[in-house]
Amino acid sequence: MLVVAVIVCIFLAFHLISGGTFLQMDNLAIVISHTVYPTFMAWGLCFLFACGYTDMSIGGVVVLGSFATGVLGNMYGYPGAVLGGLAVGLILVFINFLIFAFSGIPSWIAGISLAMIYEAIAVAVKLNPTLKPLIETDMNQNIRLFGSFPWSLILLFIGLFIVYLIYNRTTIGLNIRAIGGNQQVSKALGISLIRTLLFVGLITGILIGVAAFIQESYAGQTTVKTGLTSMYMIFQPLAIVLLAQILQRWINIIIAVPICAFIIYSVFTLLTTMGVPSGTLQEASLCVFLIVFGIIGRFGYKGVVK
Amino acid sequence: MTDGANILEVKGLNKYFGPTHANVDIDFTIKRGEIKGLIGENGSGKSTLISQIAGIYRYDSGSMTLNGEPYAPHSPKDANREKIAMVMQELGVVGTLPAGVNVFLGRTQQFTKAGFVNLKEVYAAAEKIFTQWDLPMPPLHQLAEGMMVETRKMIELARALSIDPDLLLLDEITQSLSMNNRDRLYGLIGKLKGMGRSVLVITHDVDELIEITDTITVLRDGAVVGEADSRRTTADEIKRMMVGRSMSGEYYREDQAPDYREKVMLTVRDMAVPGEIEDVSFELHEGEILGFCGLSDSGIHSVGKAVYGLSRLSSGSVRMEYADKDVKTAEQALATGAAYVPKDRDSEALMIHASVLDNICLPSVEELEGKVMYLAPGKLRALTNEMVEKFSVRTTGVHQTMDALSGGNKQKINLGRWLAKDLKLLILDCPTRGVDVGVKAYIYSLMKEAKKNGIATLLISDELTEVLGMADRLMVMKDGRITKVIRRDENFTEQSVIGAMI
Repeated sequence: MLVVAVIVCIFLAFHLISGGTFLQMDNLAIVISHTVYPTFMAWGLCFLFACGYTDMSIGGVVVLGSFATGVLGNMYGYPGAVLGGLAVGLILVFINFLIFAFSGIPSWIAGISLAMIYEAIAVAVKLNPTLKPLIETDMNQNIRLFGSFPWSLILLFIGLFIVYLIYNRTTIGLNIRAIGGNQQVSKALGISLIRTLLFVGLITGILIGVAAFIQESYAGQTTVKTGLTSMYMIFQPLAIVLLAQILQRWINIIIAVPICAFIIYSVFTLLTTMGVPSGTLQEASLCVFLIVFGIIGRFGYKGVVK
Repeated sequence: MTDGANILEVKGLNKYFGPTHANVDIDFTIKRGEIKGLIGENGSGKSTLISQIAGIYRYDSGSMTLNGEPYAPHSPKDANREKIAMVMQELGVVGTLPAGVNVFLGRTQQFTKAGFVNLKEVYAAAEKIFTQWDLPMPPLHQLAEGMMVETRKMIELARALSIDPDLLLLDEITQSLSMNNRDRLYGLIGKLKGMGRSVLVITHDVDELIEITDTITVLRDGAVVGEADSRRTTADEIKRMMVGRSMSGEYYREDQAPDYREKVMLTVRDMAVPGEIEDVSFELHEGEILGFCGLSDSGIHSVGKAVYGLSRLSSGSVRMEYADKDVKTAEQALATGAAYVPKDRDSEALMIHASVLDNICLPSVEELEGKVMYLAPGKLRALTNEMVEKFSVRTTGVHQTMDALSGGNKQKINLGRWLAKDLKLLILDCPTRGVDVGVKAYIYSLMKEAKKNGIATLLISDELTEVLGMADRLMVMKDGRITKVIRRDENFTEQSVIGAMI
């Protein structure tokens, strides 16, 4: 209750600071639409972090997944759009986890290498004379329903329900958290490290694939990222997860993720209405917000799980 | 299968780790309804043997039969399926999961319907296990990471009991437990025996082993060197078999009066840590060993942490009189010449995946560093070699990682690296936990030497005989408060201490 009260107070404060525009329905719809795509990415990161791994390449996966969503969506409608994003997300993240599981290379190093490879593939696709026009064509407006309110919100609730159950109420969810907590004990209790990691790859892949589908539905087109700038796409989902980890004391992390996504995008909206230019200055403000929140959140930590 | 028939038979078992022959032609049987003890010095191959029975390691040659059938478990899960469960020597819970989930971790399928685990059923089943076996109930919904060593051990024990084992393997579990929980464990072992179940116990406490077991098998250098009937053998005979010679001299102090200087080294006033300790006040003198004992929830372990600045005090003060400084953080305590050896050696004291050299040198880097903070490899190696030789650490070299060492050798490094410094105050929390009689005697001799050199020692222990054997004065704690202070020349007996503890 206290957390809800605090969040309500924060939003009321935002409303006052923004001169009464923040809590207007139009504004809320925009904020919610913004939060859906990073929320799915942040859920993917939750699974990654829970098992003690990280993957710096998922921004690159989202770019390629968005390409597939747009191109196949324009060709085959919704089935093409959904399956395109999901297939690319699932296959690439699964490949990543095969590499993490079998190569022994630290995941963050392997992830950076993979990010460069995926960026290079995106550039190659973009430069291909046959594929270029397909990529540069906006996704058909008729199949972009899930990028807009209230469909994006419905998708968010469906995602929340499924991800919550997988993370908290399935054996694989518990095993993922177990290997992140103590790999030796997990092995001794018969939990297969490889099998569990591959499951993480599958689950995260699907979530990243959904994120790609939503991103393309929202934006209509995705630009190619080079020079490791695809890694920048992780920043906001990462901020969401960090904030959710702080709130974990009071709220289950999977539920905390969309709440935190909403808070973070509210901060961005507020900063915009206050005239703070978007980009570095807004993100620096977000970092300050995270640090202050983190410090407050550590007081009296006892390790109770929700 | 009736009582008295062999439940497990081990024949000609061999296990190698690289060039190390860890188990040599082991022949060994456990009967149904038998409580068997397994003892040997650190590194004698006890944990290796028990780990093969539990399916953690596979044996290289030989055979095992369980209830007359060939038995070769590939994993602990295989062993569990055959109703063999183990509580491991080192801590084995997943801190990022709640205590209740830890009890059934790896076996949550039984609570799964349509792919989803019913956590309510998991917690209810965990609660039932704790109640059924009369184990102290931890907060089942709370993450295991913040829990005390003893609580985590109880979770592991509940996990082992949750498979309803025919054979329970206990690897040095009692030394993590305080007196009341040890009694609970003994009761549990008796109950299992009454049910016709078998228990294999490893402990370094020879007297305890004789008291709670029916038979004892002694290992030395990986091989069985003797068997004994617990009702007919003596502690001296077991020790002789363990080390291959008679153990001479006393473990503990032989004097019967406090022997320390008047100079006060540490003053603790009205110290309180919320939910752990309250109104704790005492003085510690130069050359004094001040013992702390109490039951599991008495707060003795919190005293050590609080004095060293690892817990935030809600009130009171800790003053290092020798440095004329109040201390609030571990950094400040260390700077005055204080050292703390925690109970949870692997998690709180040692860098378990780092080398022997790193672990020995870390507390002494300030003394070792040269110009521009440069640490000369030669200096580091010299100190490490000196310590390894002085404390007789069995290691393949200074770059061997700590996790490859036996418990006793880890503890020699854990304690020895502090004694290499110019210490004024030493806080020891269960310093002989998980070490054999030889290492134990050695640690006591180090404590006596430290006392002679004027070091003030705070000795916190779950073993009453240890504090009675070594302390000048004894603080008995109950429910977070000091209930009695006994001097060595007063009524310094187990009975008087136990009376104040419960």
